[in-house]
Amino acid sequence: MSLVKDDVNLLSPPQGWEARAGTSPAAYPGKRKVTVDLTAMSTLDPAVTAMYEAAGNDATPASLAAAEAGPSITHVEDPEAIAGDEAGQPSPETEVDVESESAEERRLRFERDAMQYVDQLYSAAMRMARNPADAEDLVQEAYTKAFSAFHQYKPGTNLKAWLYRILTNTYINLYRKRQREPLQSNTDTIEDWQLARAGSHTSTGLRSAEVEALDHLPDSDVKRALQAIPEEFRLAVYFADVEGFAYKEISDIMNTPIGTVMSRLHRGRKMLRDMLADYAAERGFKAAGESTPAPGSDTQENRK
Amino acid sequence: MSDCQGLGDCDDARMERIYEYLDGALTRDDVAEIKHHLDDCPECLEQYDLECVIRNMVKRSCTESAPENLKNAILDRIHGIRPVDA
Repeated sequence: MSLVKDDVNLLSPPQGWEARAGTSPAAYPGKRKVTVDLTAMSTLDPAVTAMYEAAGNDATPASLAAAEAGPSITHVEDPEAIAGDEAGQPSPETEVDVESESAEERRLRFERDAMQYVDQLYSAAMRMARNPADAEDLVQEAYTKAFSAFHQYKPGTNLKAWLYRILTNTYINLYRKRQREPLQSNTDTIEDWQLARAGSHTSTGLRSAEVEALDHLPDSDVKRALQAIPEEFRLAVYFADVEGFAYKEISDIMNTPIGTVMSRLHRGRKMLRDMLADYAAERGFKAAGESTPAPGSDTQENRK
Repeated sequence: MSDCQGLGDCDDARMERIYEYLDGALTRDDVAEIKHHLDDCPECLEQYDLECVIRNMVKRSCTESAPENLKNAILDRIHGIRPVDA
């Protein structure tokens, strides 16, 4: 490892994850080592496995599988992909403060830096899972994985986005294993159905009176509307609107191209808007424009 | 002046622009252009307002506090893990 290397890393961080980071590299001035300590990692896994076994509590299939897979908990799982792929440099060049930081120090750093996002991750998990208990499990799982892989997180990059990606991947893994069902089946069908309906609204828009009405819809209606749109659209909208993540960050979190993120956002927002308009109408607020749909004003909506 | 000739022109592409504007994803030139357009086009301005309202609603509705015990449960769990040491 050379100083030049460190300088390059510090001065030219990989694109994407540095944005909106809460911490700067300067906050961790310790000497950096660019190797992953596989020996140390291998001692982690039995501990993790034992911990789960000791805990003996119900639902940790995904993490158990990950733990049993040995070093793969850090290799094939999410965290390394985050640390490595955006850097455009093929890992194992993951920066770890192994030399300057003890286990206890790392734990404290994790508690200080990562634990502040529990509420936010829980809110996101509530949009993923179907009930509070599952959301709690999900957040616990995600934090456990994040902690196990924390030595791979690069200080100074976007910790919140890193945690969100772990949460998202945990959700996908956990639910696929647990429920053996697609995340949200027949997305295409739902999507087409929703789009057809959205199309009838968006061209006319919603009038100011209804903007007013929408604003008075109870939170439960908004959550219901979000829950009703297909998951990938829902999460994209959530990440953008609630967390304010940039397209690039969402694309990293959801592991999809930016173009896909943009199209999910666009469609998801239309669906959401349509649902909310319906709810407002149900509650007695009528959209002034509803009786005058603009015919054929857009072609995109008309496709099958 | 508005280059918007009615709802048709301002429909999909324009909404896309408005989304991107609100997402902070436009270049400075594009921002200037869309701002200028919003000044001139009541239809788009209304869509813009509506989009702002919806975003605020989503944000307001989805900001939840984790159950009190969750943080402790997480801390308990990670204390049972031996982290990778130097």
